[in-house]
Order: sequence, then structure tokens, then C-alpha cells
Amino acid sequence: MINPNRDQLVRAASITTIAIALVAPFLSGSLFLLNLLSLMLIFIIFSSAWNLLAYSGQGSLGHAAFFGIGAYASTMIAVRSGVTPYITIFLGAAVAAFIGILIGLTCVRLKEWFLAMVTFGFAIIVQTITVSILAPVTGGWDGIASPRLLSPDIPGYQLIEYYSILIITIASIIAIWYIMKSRIGLAFLAIRENELEARAAGVDPVRYRLLAFGMSAYLAGVAGALEIHHIGYITPEIFGVDLSFWPVTYVIFGGLCTLAGPIVGTVVLTIIWEGLKMAGLTFARYIIVGILLILVIIFLPKGLVDIPNQLQNWWKKRKKT
Amino acid sequence: MDDIGILLQVIFWGLYAGCIYILLATGLNLIFGVMKIVNFAHGEFLMIGAYITATIFFLTGLNPYVIILFSMLALIGIGAVVERLCFRPILGTSKLNEIFLSIGLIYIFQSGAAMIWGDEWQSIKSPYEGITIPLGSLNVPLDYIIIIVVTAGILCALYLFLRKTKTGREMRATSQNRKGAVLVGINVERMDILSFGLGCALAAAAGTLWVVSGQVFNPYMGSIPAVKAFAIIILGGLGSIPGAIIGGLIYGIAENGAAYYLGGVWKDAISFIILIVVLVVRPTGLFGESGE
Repeated sequence: MINPNRDQLVRAASITTIAIALVAPFLSGSLFLLNLLSLMLIFIIFSSAWNLLAYSGQGSLGHAAFFGIGAYASTMIAVRSGVTPYITIFLGAAVAAFIGILIGLTCVRLKEWFLAMVTFGFAIIVQTITVSILAPVTGGWDGIASPRLLSPDIPGYQLIEYYSILIITIASIIAIWYIMKSRIGLAFLAIRENELEARAAGVDPVRYRLLAFGMSAYLAGVAGALEIHHIGYITPEIFGVDLSFWPVTYVIFGGLCTLAGPIVGTVVLTIIWEGLKMAGLTFARYIIVGILLILVIIFLPKGLVDIPNQLQNWWKKRKKT
Repeated sequence: MDDIGILLQVIFWGLYAGCIYILLATGLNLIFGVMKIVNFAHGEFLMIGAYITATIFFLTGLNPYVIILFSMLALIGIGAVVERLCFRPILGTSKLNEIFLSIGLIYIFQSGAAMIWGDEWQSIKSPYEGITIPLGSLNVPLDYIIIIVVTAGILCALYLFLRKTKTGREMRATSQNRKGAVLVGINVERMDILSFGLGCALAAAAGTLWVVSGQVFNPYMGSIPAVKAFAIIILGGLGSIPGAIIGGLIYGIAENGAAYYLGGVWKDAISFIILIVVLVVRPTGLFGESGE
């Protein structure tokens, strides 16, 4: 059901969100919170990137590969050339996109579990290569230092970093919004819903799948590079299973294949996660997240963003009876 | 030892490693055959089986090969609960949902195990440790031989169950044609629970054998073997149990060969390289017919 003033609602919600993000650092002076918000923004980009690939009907279980490749490539370029990370982030992401397309080439004919498996495998292969063949440049399992986004000598550098990340996040989401709205997005949707009909309508699934892989890997690479330049150190742990699963969890939680889903999912889960941490839980946090995830899949298959619709339907049913 | 001796040794290690993969992959295949779902969290059942074995072993000092019965029984129960609570509600919805649900299960089982047993690496000692049997030019540890025999025994039992018993036939009927099975009066939901429980029990057996052979285990050890088992059933064809056995042996040998000739870090990567090569050439697996 499309509400007549739904557009206005969405616009109001977006403006409020951005406003909150803008003033958030001033609500509390703590650097801990600022760091947390920065990482949350980075994960919003990462989840959105994963979601973009899912939007074309491809569910990846190895997105940490692109996250990590972007991070390593950006670090390498920045270390070798001395260029500021502000530029190398996008160069590193381009490397991730290139490899993403190569990986995509092996995946375009695969579906569902097959694709999930192969992407999962690629993350492990990339990690293995990083610690074996490439060990002389990557430092092997020990990792290497990565240049900070901004030198810590600059006063208030954390605040500038936060706003830089915020700008990149907003730009990424606007870019994804345009892609979803455009002909490309429509083609993705068509392939996802019914590949045969899409082909009959003149959409070349292979080309669009590769495009989705490239764009998704690019954004994941941006997120990875941002995180590493924010933390200042990189190890091959970045290719771990954990990092591949988080974006999936966030997106399923928020709402698969929607623009707002990754944002809502990341924000809500981060709040729950940090809240549980403050309550002193360690392993139990994962159990709670796991149970919540399963409950959402079973009872709210479209994620948290679907709650308003569900409430509306429930309200209508109640009025009828 | 000469080159051929080393090669034989590598192949024998591979056979033994393959046994664990075969049990995992057969369980996955059984579940896939009946329910047409893939449980990515299958390795967590291997991990739970390993911990149950170790716990009973530490408490009672029973022979670890006897404990295999207890761990299998326990996992039939756990599997049935997981099927009823988690997989049945999403049966028939998008296939991606199974993958996402498995991620939730992975979180729950791994952290649950870490809470109960701690997240340190552990290992136990087999009573037959150190005993080797000369077999031609190489000395084979007795444990490896027992593991291979136990695996063969379990597979034979499974074969007889599926071929000779009424329940086994009902299960095969369900896997061949679910609607047809409903029409002839088979309770397919009972078959679902049963196949899921049996699949988990096979994973538990794999877990016990993992522990008995002296390999280390921790709550996070399950994911990689599970994904490999999944790769094996893709290699061998979804739903084909002979395919799973051949695939498991190929993987065990390839992995140990790669670890020996290329270095230990390649052990995990090599199995995915095989998988990717196979899928690029044949998107439905080596022995698979049409996937969808």
C-alpha cells in the first residue's frame, strides 16, 4: 500500500537521520562514541555494498574479500607513493572492483548455494595468497601499519575524520539510490525476479551481474580502505568469516534489497551489540544476535523496515473486524 | 623413505581425512535429498559432536570409539529440535533464507559452545596412540585404520537402513518425489525431522572421529570442514551419496597432497580452488544432472 504522503515521510526521515549524524559528535564529547559512530558509518557502506549485489539476485558469503582487498590495495598505494589516503581509498577500491569483476566472471553462471560457496571460498583463497605468496609485501599474518586518514598531529583530527567518513557514506548511499532507480537497477531487479523473462526482454544477465559485482566490490573496497585508514593497522584477519557474515546479518535484519535496510540494520544492531557489551556479555552477544536474526527471518522476512507496513496491515484488519 | 613411500603416506592421510569429510558430506546430502535445503551450519554439529565426545571422555574415561554412539544419539535430538524450530518455518521460501538462517545458527552454536566449554584449543589422547601397524612399506597408525573401518561401517549401516527398512524406503521416496510421497501416505514432515537428525548424527560421528584422531578442536573449528563438505557434494552432485564418497576421498587426498607439496597454508585454499575449477567447467558438479 503506497501512502500518498509516503514520499514526504521518507524525505523527512532521511533529513532527520542526516541531521542526527551531523550533530551526533556534539551530543557527547567522548572519543569512544566518535570512534563507534565512524565504524558504524563504515559498516553502513559495507552492508549497502553487499545489499547492492543481493539486489541483483546474488548473495555473497565472502564479501570480506573485497573489503580486505580495498584495504590492502589502498594501504600499499599510500605507503609506496606517499599519496594521502583520501585519494588512495578510491584507487584501492578500484583494485577491489577489478578483482570483483574477475571473481564475478566465475560466478555469473552460479546461483544461490553455489554462489555463496564460491564467494566464501574466494575469501579464503585471497587470505591464503596474502599470507603466502604476497607475504613479503603484506607482512604475512603479522600485518603492516597503514597510514592514518589524517595525521594525529592535527587538532580535532577525529572530528574531521568522522565528517569525512560521513560525507563518503552519504555519497555512497546516494549513488546506490541512483543505481537502484536507473535502468541498471531495473535490470538487476528483473534478473533477480525472473532471469528467463529478463533475457526475453533483452536484458543480458551476464553483463548486469558482472556490473553488480564490480560496483558492489568497489563500495566494499571503499569501506575496507576507510576502516583500515581509520584504525591504522591491517592484518589478514580482515578476510575472516566474521567480516563476511556481518554485512549479511545487518542487511537481513534491516531489510533485504531495500535502500534503508542496511542503514537501519547496521544502526539497530550496533546499538544492541554495544548495549549488550556494556551489560558485560561477551559470547552471549552472538547468541542473542543469532536468535534475533532467526526470529527476523521467520517472522519479519522483509526486515525491520517492513514494520510500518505490518502495523498498517494489522491496523486495517483490526478495523474490519 | 623414498618418493613413492611419501606419496603412499600422503594418500593414506588423505583417506583418513577423507573419512571425516565423507561423513559430513553424506549427512548434508541426506538432508538435501529429503528437504532440498542446505545447512551451512552443518559443521557446528561436527563441533558439538567433538565436544560431547571430549566431555564424556574426560568424565568417564570410556573408549572414545564407544562414545561415538552417545554423540550420534545426542545430535539426533539436537538436529530434530533445530529442524522443527528453525528450518521448518522457512521451508519453501527463498533459498537464500536458508543461508541466512544458517548464519544465525552458526552464531548461536559457536558462542554457546564457547560459553560452555571455553574457546581454547583442546585435544584428547586416543588409547591407541603410538601404536602403528606395518602395511607394506609404510607404518600406519592403528587409529587411522579404526577410523576408516568405523566410517565404512556407518556408511554400510546407512545403506542398509535406506534400502531394507520401511522408514528408509519412505525417506528415499520423499527425496525422489515429495508430492508423490504425500499422495501415498508418507508423513513427509516426519521424514524431514528424521533425515535432519540422521544428517546431524553423521556430523557427530565425524566430530568424534576428529577428536579421537588427536586433532585439536575449538568452538570455531566447524565452519571450514562444513564448507568443504558442501564443496564435496557439489563436486559429487547434489543428493548423490556415492558422489559424496568419491568427492570426499578426492578432497582428502588433494588437501594432504597440497599441504605436503605447497605448504600448510594452502590446505584450505586448495579445496576451494578445486571447487571453483569444477564449477566453472560444470556448473552442476561432476556427477550432478541439472541443478535446478
